[in-house]
Amino acid sequence: MNVLEQIRKGDSGMVVSGNHPRIVQSILDFDYLSGNTQSVHAIVTNGRRSQKFFWGTKEILIPCYKSFSEIPQSLGARVTFLLNVQSGRRAAESTHAFFAVFPEAIGAHIFAENVPEAHATELISTYAGKKIIAGPSGVGILVSGTLKLGAIGGVDSSQLVSNKLMTKGSVAVVSTSGGMTGELIHAVSEAGRRLSFAFCIGGDRFPVSSLSEVLALAEADPETKGIAYFGELGGVDEYEIVELIRNKKLTKPVVAYIAGIIDESFDTHVQFGHAKALVAHKDESARAKREALREVGVQAADSFPEFLAALGALPGGSEVDPEIDIGPLLARRASILSTREIVDLKAIPTFVEKGKLVEAESGFMSTAVSALLGKQLTSPTSKAFFEAVGKLLIDHGGNVSGAVTSMITARAGKDLVSSLSAGLLTIGPRFGGAINDAAKLWMKGVSSNASAVSFVEETTRAGSLILGIGHKKYRVGIPDPRVSAIEAFTELLPKHEYFTFARAVEKVTTGKNGSLILNVDGAIAALTLDVLAECEGYTQKELQSLAEAEFFNALFVLPRTAGFMAHIIEQKRNDEGLFRLPDSLLFTRPGDLHEG
Amino acid sequence: MARVKLTEYRAKKLILGEAYSGVSLSMDSEVLFPKDAHLVVKVDQGIKKRMKQGLVAVDIAPHKIHAQLKEWNKRGFTSFLAEELVPHEQAEEQYLSLERVREGIRLLHGRNGGIDIEEHPESLTESLLSQENVAEISEQTGIPVPFLARVLSVFESMHFSFIEINPLLVRGEEVHLLDAAVLVDSAAQFFVSDGWSDADITEATASHEAEEKIADLQKTTPASLKLKVLNPNGSLFFLLSGGGGSIVAADEAALKGMGSEIGNYGEYSGGPTQEETYLYAKQVIALMLASKAKKKALVIAGGVANFTDVKTTFAGIESALAESAEQLRKQDIKVFVRRGGPNEKIGLAHMEKFLQQEGLLGVVYGSVTPITQAVDDAVAAL
Repeated sequence: MNVLEQIRKGDSGMVVSGNHPRIVQSILDFDYLSGNTQSVHAIVTNGRRSQKFFWGTKEILIPCYKSFSEIPQSLGARVTFLLNVQSGRRAAESTHAFFAVFPEAIGAHIFAENVPEAHATELISTYAGKKIIAGPSGVGILVSGTLKLGAIGGVDSSQLVSNKLMTKGSVAVVSTSGGMTGELIHAVSEAGRRLSFAFCIGGDRFPVSSLSEVLALAEADPETKGIAYFGELGGVDEYEIVELIRNKKLTKPVVAYIAGIIDESFDTHVQFGHAKALVAHKDESARAKREALREVGVQAADSFPEFLAALGALPGGSEVDPEIDIGPLLARRASILSTREIVDLKAIPTFVEKGKLVEAESGFMSTAVSALLGKQLTSPTSKAFFEAVGKLLIDHGGNVSGAVTSMITARAGKDLVSSLSAGLLTIGPRFGGAINDAAKLWMKGVSSNASAVSFVEETTRAGSLILGIGHKKYRVGIPDPRVSAIEAFTELLPKHEYFTFARAVEKVTTGKNGSLILNVDGAIAALTLDVLAECEGYTQKELQSLAEAEFFNALFVLPRTAGFMAHIIEQKRNDEGLFRLPDSLLFTRPGDLHEG
Repeated sequence: MARVKLTEYRAKKLILGEAYSGVSLSMDSEVLFPKDAHLVVKVDQGIKKRMKQGLVAVDIAPHKIHAQLKEWNKRGFTSFLAEELVPHEQAEEQYLSLERVREGIRLLHGRNGGIDIEEHPESLTESLLSQENVAEISEQTGIPVPFLARVLSVFESMHFSFIEINPLLVRGEEVHLLDAAVLVDSAAQFFVSDGWSDADITEATASHEAEEKIADLQKTTPASLKLKVLNPNGSLFFLLSGGGGSIVAADEAALKGMGSEIGNYGEYSGGPTQEETYLYAKQVIALMLASKAKKKALVIAGGVANFTDVKTTFAGIESALAESAEQLRKQDIKVFVRRGGPNEKIGLAHMEKFLQQEGLLGVVYGSVTPITQAVDDAVAAL
């Protein structure tokens, strides 16, 4: 079976060697827009374990490995191509390494220019005729609607669509030049034709897959009905086409443009952009090659506009393009941090139902709290209560300061303990550290027997915030489900005077501003006071000394430590590399706004 | 990159090692030769057909060397080579060349070498040389095994792409390299330690200052930046992108009969940054402003790029144009643009608005218009 048919039938996948995110993303977009499965399975690169890309509008992580042999069998089984975007000096070495691990693979694209000639000829002697290798240099291979191996056809999703790369057609584009491959792909689509495949041989002196091999592919491909070819002065490739046609090994119509007539305007030969575009012998001139092609019936145009017009005479033109809306792809924005959901924030457990504890089993939290208190907890209610607090406070998503700081520290390559410490150090008056101060406030309010109204007045007049009140997200009408869940414990507490007081304060504050509701810190503080007083027999004085020792904040630090560590471990497993705030998210205040 | 010329001095030093007695000379070198020495002195700057151009002095006395160098220096040459004269009969002169080709290393040998070799190429025998067949080839050519093996191993380890020894003298086991020209693979420089370096690379013609600046810039980036000054007083200047697309644009100018009016050829590709594109464009604009042509035009053209960002590169070009906008207006230069690729729409729209504001607008085309149209429009405006 022709290799192109094999590619069209099979589930072609690739490994990327080196790092070129823009090209990789364009391949994923091509797969997505073609309705195929993801073709990039792994990246071989140093310094990270995964890299983030989009699959449609969803973010995905593609695993990174240090070497081809580290790629697990589950991924490796689907690898048929190598996309090699390493530098010129590493290109040959990494290509050999790939085929050593994947001997059955179909081929590769080597992106780098500046591959030493000796390396290129050595690649030729090893792989020519056995593997399909586009390059060194160039933009790779495209099989419309099936495979995009390289930058070929563009890297913007809008280019993929305007070049009609997802529509299977009948014209093969073959070119040495990468830029002109893009130009020809575009021209074919403008001419109302669609591609069967496009192959950029590469402008280097020694491309691995030669022009003859690529034309043999086109000839054997049942989908290809015509060929559009772009060549340049220098080299003798075009005489290979002449030979193939003479020997009837190439029978499909060919439209060609051989660039380089400009060379005739100069006294001495000019070194043009590509390595082999230096005319050394007369028969390598653009004119000579053009004429040789014409003799065997190739439509070798005199000018580029003439070439464009001739494309319209190639077979095909009845293909129907699928309707593709790339609006959502254009609107997507990459997240700056990615992590998993540590706990399901929407599933709030029920702790008390119809006046009875749902789950009286005690565990780590009650043991830990007993240790903090220096005294065993005795009541099943208090045990259940502290377990509930632990569950509620493990995590509140990756957005909060402590989690963000932990993750950024982990991504800077720091160890678990350092990353955890960095996260813990954000706990304070604005984040997580309000439980203790809230407890102090509720105690003050309850012991002074003041009304909630005068308590609020007094506290705010003194210029203090009422800790335990207010939330960025929840407000009147959108209650915090965690607060509602633990509020159920009041059913088991005959007095719950601290909680009642806290709710009374909330009533006053929400009268001013709907977002000034009792938050989870405030609720936990109040209920902890009630539980310790009513179930464990703590006096006001004892509670006071606990608050002074910052016992109440420990109730947050304990479970959240587990949450931070979960985020840290997740970052280390993903290992997306060092974090840097994107410019678009950084507002630098202009100098003239500075005060003084 | 491409094949670059090595000085004859370095080429012979690599092949012959300590046994080579030639001396590299510059205008101010003070080398003492024995008074009765018979020497050959020549310009060592990778120039072909030196003999025919009078750039070789055969059997020159040591005290006359300085005057000879002075004369060559007046013609713009700065690097020279002095060797001991090897007296010989013309009939002794042989030809030998090795070139890296797709299949391996191709050897050409002729028993009748000399300066007229190109007139009788049919006298050359061709074979593929490898470590395995050195003895066999030696037998066929009469070139001693140790020398052939040495040339091959230096060719391979020093990443030579081409070596031509003409004339070559073979006297039993003894060989003399009267002239040697070597092209090395600049892409392999990293792999050549203790061999050749930038200092051994020579340019045949003194290059333009702008070319030198771009060559220096090229060394600092993985992108491709090339510039060649063709006619300093031309009327059509190019800021082209992409190796192939740039030739198509230049071809179109030639087809419109403007070949001799082209001021420069060059291209930027491989995703240069905004700053690199700015520095590149600056050189081309300076060249154009310096041209004495009465009517001038700038063509900014390229194919539909696969990954070079139009917005980024155009931002660099715009900064360079903005710097010289006043002079450009004074000389009534208009700018003709055709480009496609990533961020095409936004890049082109910005360029059009910029050119409009600066009074430099010729045309701005996107990928829907053929690459050659901007050239046609520029030519029509001249």
